[in-house]
Amino acid sequence: MKLGDIGKDFAGVVGLAILSLIIGVAVNRFSAHPLPLVHQSPSERLQGELTRLVAAPPFESFPVETIGLDEFRPVVEQKDDLIIDARSSHYYQLGHVPGAINLARDNFARDYIRLRPSLDKSKDSPIVVYCSGGDCHDSKMVAQALTSLGFSQVRVFTGGWDAWTAAGLPTESATKAANQ
Amino acid sequence: MKLSARTYYWLDIVIRLVVGAVFVTAGALKAGDTLQFGDKIASFEILPNALVNYLAMGLPIFEMLTGLLLIAGWFRRPAALGIVIVSGIFLIAIVSALARGLTIDCGCFGSGTPTRARMWMDFVRDTALFVAILYAYWNPAPSVRVESRGHAQSLSEPAAT
Repeated sequence: MKLGDIGKDFAGVVGLAILSLIIGVAVNRFSAHPLPLVHQSPSERLQGELTRLVAAPPFESFPVETIGLDEFRPVVEQKDDLIIDARSSHYYQLGHVPGAINLARDNFARDYIRLRPSLDKSKDSPIVVYCSGGDCHDSKMVAQALTSLGFSQVRVFTGGWDAWTAAGLPTESATKAANQ
Repeated sequence: MKLSARTYYWLDIVIRLVVGAVFVTAGALKAGDTLQFGDKIASFEILPNALVNYLAMGLPIFEMLTGLLLIAGWFRRPAALGIVIVSGIFLIAIVSALARGLTIDCGCFGSGTPTRARMWMDFVRDTALFVAILYAYWNPAPSVRVESRGHAQSLSEPAAT
């Protein structure tokens, strides 16, 4: 073993290290949860999570896209989109549109945290919100809140519960028993 | 200790396979969870924060790469030296953590529960790895193939420690 040999091998090691770093950074760049380039301790990361949870963007009123019964009905029947009942849980339990989940305007934060797992899947897919109907504002406010939280395809069914039941369409109650 | 060429030939293969497999496994486990590995590196309190995640991204790849090269026998001397250096650095890091009274998980194979007893086990394992690969690196590669019938030909006895 000569020192010159070690030097040559060491140059190879440096080459391998540079190659590994390039591959590692590239893999990280395209991974689902890339690391930030500067390390954050677990407590710093938790702090970041909390900030994201608490410091939601300020609530703003802005127009939301609305749909009528003729458009809402196939959405319910196809069961592809997330349907949100924005009324209070009391009314939701008495009866709601089949498949709808309850994200009440009054209990938004609590319901939002509870429903987070299913909500997060719909960040970029269609969501329709409704409330009792007529002049109710809950559906619009919940839709605006969701939009400001980053949900990109939120619409409001303006007819609401009144229009749905007036048309004699199927409903579902808390016990999941569908009644015509 | 003087080894016969045949013994040395097989010893070299065993060291390369075992150390190579350990490094590929260790690298693969860490590559899958670089976030945790970054925390492990940070827990040694040796590197500045700015460098921690680069090491977390690069080192697992380096371990897999050198391990595979060592097993395959391509570019084997730089690969072996790379493993000597990396396992040497691990050893220093563990010794320094033991000396400073830190109780941490070495993060060598993904995550585990940090205990002092495990740290001593890590120390022993790393020492064994380090000595084995240093031995394989320091001695020249076996220069002859051992015939399958068992008698070696025109041996140049490898330097042995």
